Amino acid sequence: MKSIDVEIRNPSGLHARPAVLFARQALGFKSKVTVQNLANGKPPVDAKSLIAVLGAGLLKGTIVRVVAAGEDEAQAIGDLKAAIESGLGEPLG
Amino acid sequence: MTTRIDASAAAPGIAIGPVWRYPRRPTPEGTAERGRESARRRALHAELTGAEAVDAVTAAAHEAADQLTALADRIYDAGRADDAGIFDAQAMMATDTAILDEAIRLIRTGMDPVEAVAESATAAAEMLAAVDDELISARAADIRDVGARIGRILRGEQLDLPEQPSVAVADDLPPSVIAEIPTGLLLGVALAGGSRTSHAVILSRGLGIPCVVGATGLLQAIDAATDAVVDGAPTPIAIAVDGQRGEILLEPSDDDIVVFQRRGDALAERTHRAVALRDRPGATADGERVALLANIGTPDDAPRALEARAEGVGLFRTEFLYMKRQTPPTEHEQMLAYRRVMTAFGPDRPVVIRLADIGGDKGIPYLGLPADANPFLGVRAIRLAYRSHDLLRTQLRAIWQAGALAKVTPHIMAPMVATVADVKLLQRLRDEARDDVRSKKLPCAKKMVTGIMVEIPSAAILAAELALLIDFFSIGTNDLTQYLMAADRGKPMLSSLQDALHPSVLRTIAGVVHGADSAGIPVAVCGELAGDPAGALVLVGLGVDELSADAGSLDGIRSALAAVTRAELDDLSTRALASVDAESVRTLVAPYLARLTD
Repeated sequence: MKSIDVEIRNPSGLHARPAVLFARQALGFKSKVTVQNLANGKPPVDAKSLIAVLGAGLLKGTIVRVVAAGEDEAQAIGDLKAAIESGLGEPLG
Repeated sequence: MTTRIDASAAAPGIAIGPVWRYPRRPTPEGTAERGRESARRRALHAELTGAEAVDAVTAAAHEAADQLTALADRIYDAGRADDAGIFDAQAMMATDTAILDEAIRLIRTGMDPVEAVAESATAAAEMLAAVDDELISARAADIRDVGARIGRILRGEQLDLPEQPSVAVADDLPPSVIAEIPTGLLLGVALAGGSRTSHAVILSRGLGIPCVVGATGLLQAIDAATDAVVDGAPTPIAIAVDGQRGEILLEPSDDDIVVFQRRGDALAERTHRAVALRDRPGATADGERVALLANIGTPDDAPRALEARAEGVGLFRTEFLYMKRQTPPTEHEQMLAYRRVMTAFGPDRPVVIRLADIGGDKGIPYLGLPADANPFLGVRAIRLAYRSHDLLRTQLRAIWQAGALAKVTPHIMAPMVATVADVKLLQRLRDEARDDVRSKKLPCAKKMVTGIMVEIPSAAILAAELALLIDFFSIGTNDLTQYLMAADRGKPMLSSLQDALHPSVLRTIAGVVHGADSAGIPVAVCGELAGDPAGALVLVGLGVDELSADAGSLDGIRSALAAVTRAELDDLSTRALASVDAESVRTLVAPYLARLTD
């Protein structure tokens, strides 16, 4: 199991478009992947569920914990971290 | 009998045609038939054991995902990439664990598959609707739309679509229904409910068809009119919609139809002329130049501004960098945002960055400020520097660097300036920030064009003195009007005091122009009045050099200015200043605006 904390930097947070990209990317891995909003104390949600990711309320500035468990966990964590940091297809600044 | 219904304008255009009601109006026969259908369905599904029911739902969900992906592709191919994104998201939702796994779980407890899907979709939609962010909570409507689609597939139902070009009428129209209607068959959209951020509005704009929302009583009126048709076969009711005025006419008379058609023709002609004018810079009929720039709220607004041929950015609001976060934006993050916009506009089209207009009102936790009882009279913007220089100095450092990296001269303006001391503080912070950047040997622009927003009456009164200290004025007419008329911008009951064309505001603006002229500096206006064609004419008449407005308004003000001469504008402004209320001023401007529809 691997875990990483990343900050959401998208100007409007993880609304539909970046959330779609994030969930789609998570779906590409065999590992089970969860994402947790560290700011609101709620439990981790399935990163492969677009609806769950949207429901986590990941606004700009939120720190999220991404956890992956499975045969490709290292790659999953690496790719998802990079994807979030580069803005999930949105320009960050 | 013609019925007139008022609604809110949401997308411009004129539509005249038969009503297509969504969903179809429930009739006693229809309800009875649906009751029989439900019973048939339950009998059928009772034969589906758990595993078969699960398979049926899974297959239906995947079919829905395929349909939505195909829809997205069609829209993408039609050149509407943003609209296509709505259906990409819906396609993912169709097989989302939140809907599918939950539906399967409910089936295993013995629930009917169609009901199971409806329940799981409703639960997921309600979960999203509760999120405290409008962009996210609005997606609840998408989940309901997707749930309905899976349900239709399970029941073997086709979506009922119009058979002739029609105006769609509904309480709120699910996005996928709009997208399924073949383009030529959808003339316009009229919603009894809906809001300006509904997907229905966005899709209508993308399609270039009129849309109105909030038409209270529309469905009842249509049903009543349908009842009144005593003919056997129900005849579609005729409707005329004006998306710009928010006007609906049910069963319009022949004269009404002529009026609406004329409006439609005039709109098409104006659009055509405005687009043709885009290649020329802003000017009056006799060639006097008026710079026309755009107001933007984030770097994402830049492409629209460029497309509307803005000659630069007269107001780049920077609050987006500071909102909805727990810590202030870093210098680097800010620098990237400023550089991006500066680069997009290049060295010949200035980008005026407005220093952050934040304070106790906007709920920004890291400022450590208590909420202001009177935010408009409170500790914000330059006043934050009375206590600590950090925030503004960081912003200024980022701007010095961005200018160097983008190879443009940065332009800034400070909001909420009231005194000479405020300006001196601004200059000191600006120069200290420059020294900070240079001492670290980071790239640094050579100079920074520095202006102030004139929105506080004190600054307007001190215009001549302030003009000696800075490079330009930009008048913020929204707040200036608020402060001058002592009327809260947010109170609809005070709307008669919120028109910036009130002579009190105009005389104040005239004073600011006079003060600026005495020092030889230019005056811009970046408030809403600049984007209002009536306002644009009066302001230029008063001697304003530059107008900055929302990109969508530029065509309109460019056209309005191109239809008048300097002599006419002088005459207009003299008479406007001598008026005593805003209505009189608008009456004075009206004949000049009427030229646009000739």
